[in-house]
Amino acid sequence: MTDATAPRAPINRRALGRALSRIADAMVAEALAVLDGEAGAAREVWRCGITGPAGVGKSSLVGRFVNARLAHKRRVGVVAIDPSSPYSQGAILGDRIRIDAHGDDAELFVRSLASRHARDGLADNIANVLALLEAHDFDDVLVETVGAGQSQYEVRELVDTLIVVLMPGAGDMVQAVKAGILETGDIYVINKADRPGAKEMVAEIASVLRHPQSSDDWLPPVVLASALGGDGIAELDAACEAHRAWRASHLDAATARRTRRRAHVRALVARRLAEVTDGADDALWDVDVASAYHAVVAGLDYPRR
Amino acid sequence: MATQLQGKRILIAKPGLDGHDVGAKVIALALRDAGAEVIYTGLRKTPDYIARVAAEENVDAVGLSILSGSHLELVKLTAAALKREHADDVPLFVGGTIPRGDWNALKESGVDCVFDSEMSLEQIVDEVARRLA
Ligand SMILES: Nc1nc2c(ncn2[C@@H]2O[C@H](COP(=O)(O)OP(=O)(O)OP(=O)(O)O)[C@@H](O)[C@H]2O)c(=O)[nH]1
Ligand SMILES: [Mg+2]
Repeated sequence: MTDATAPRAPINRRALGRALSRIADAMVAEALAVLDGEAGAAREVWRCGITGPAGVGKSSLVGRFVNARLAHKRRVGVVAIDPSSPYSQGAILGDRIRIDAHGDDAELFVRSLASRHARDGLADNIANVLALLEAHDFDDVLVETVGAGQSQYEVRELVDTLIVVLMPGAGDMVQAVKAGILETGDIYVINKADRPGAKEMVAEIASVLRHPQSSDDWLPPVVLASALGGDGIAELDAACEAHRAWRASHLDAATARRTRRRAHVRALVARRLAEVTDGADDALWDVDVASAYHAVVAGLDYPRR
Repeated sequence: MATQLQGKRILIAKPGLDGHDVGAKVIALALRDAGAEVIYTGLRKTPDYIARVAAEENVDAVGLSILSGSHLELVKLTAAALKREHADDVPLFVGGTIPRGDWNALKESGVDCVFDSEMSLEQIVDEVARRLA
């Protein structure tokens, strides 16, 4: 956190809103030009991902959780991703209604993104978007993924703490185990505690989580919550603080930075690959696979600006 | 497949106290089907909230759906709120139950286009696309 006595400049919503569009819409060349020489935020910013199946209550939970973070006098930026229609490319961005129902907190900024080309539960240029928010004097940067598929893998490397949200219901457990969800989370939330089976599910999930190999390892807590009633939010907040403290004392900052940077570079290359293959002439796909491969790879780079 | 609005971001908002948002939702879906990324605010939002969302989301247009009869006042308040957020350059559209006699007054308050209930969804989408082109 910054000096508590010096008043912070208010968030310039118009300017930041525009800057986010620029980076979210950017071609790779432009994104790189923005990032060139960028060292990242000087301060320590906490990045938290919220993922889990569709409709489990991620946005509702984020709405509650944000209030807990704001109560610590932290400035909070939220990126909420909803899926783009594969038919029209359009999207209904519905997360934010549940995240900032009142929207009058001076220290909160919420931005909705459509997943666009991203097939991994995230959005185009998401790594750049998060880096930009970080550079804008936020203390916490939260990202809610699309509620489907295997989004937890990609977001994993982009955040410090990953919250996986589940809810009671038939088949959930099997689904979660199959999707590998139980290997990626730092904190699990069983939401909709008001529904039958929630308590049992907490015990079930806790019993199948990977157990720490040593006392230094992090044991993911399982928090019972109701975004509807507000129960469990204080516990979730405490679990996040505990995870931050554990990271600070157990993870090497240089290793964490390398992991983050590797994910960012991979995302940029993947996006660049899509630019090249989407923009290629039909003729490229008339040659044999090996020739097309080499032509595509050769087309990836361009002179550094 | 219609893609007239691809790449556009549009806020559909309901200021004021009326409790019906079927019309607003139908418009939101039609805009989505034309390729737009639509942020829908839900019912009963204040002009300040709407302006803040417009700025944060950097939308290309704000569409207000008003059935309560207080459109003259709500539009004035929303236009003023947009100005406070430095977002008064964002085109402002209004739809709902708006008597023709009020159109000029709305335009003088900063509304770019009024959609009346006689227009088909297709006409509305075409008009939005034309104005954002
Ligand atoms: N009963 C109950 N319903 C809840 C609770 N939390 C959220 N809901 C409801 O669950 C539905 C989905 O909530 P969202 O917050 O939109 O869920 P989400 O995971 O963000 O959904 P997507 O982003 O579409 O994947 C809504 O109707 C909420 O009102 C809860 O604790 N109890
Ligand atoms: Mg959501």
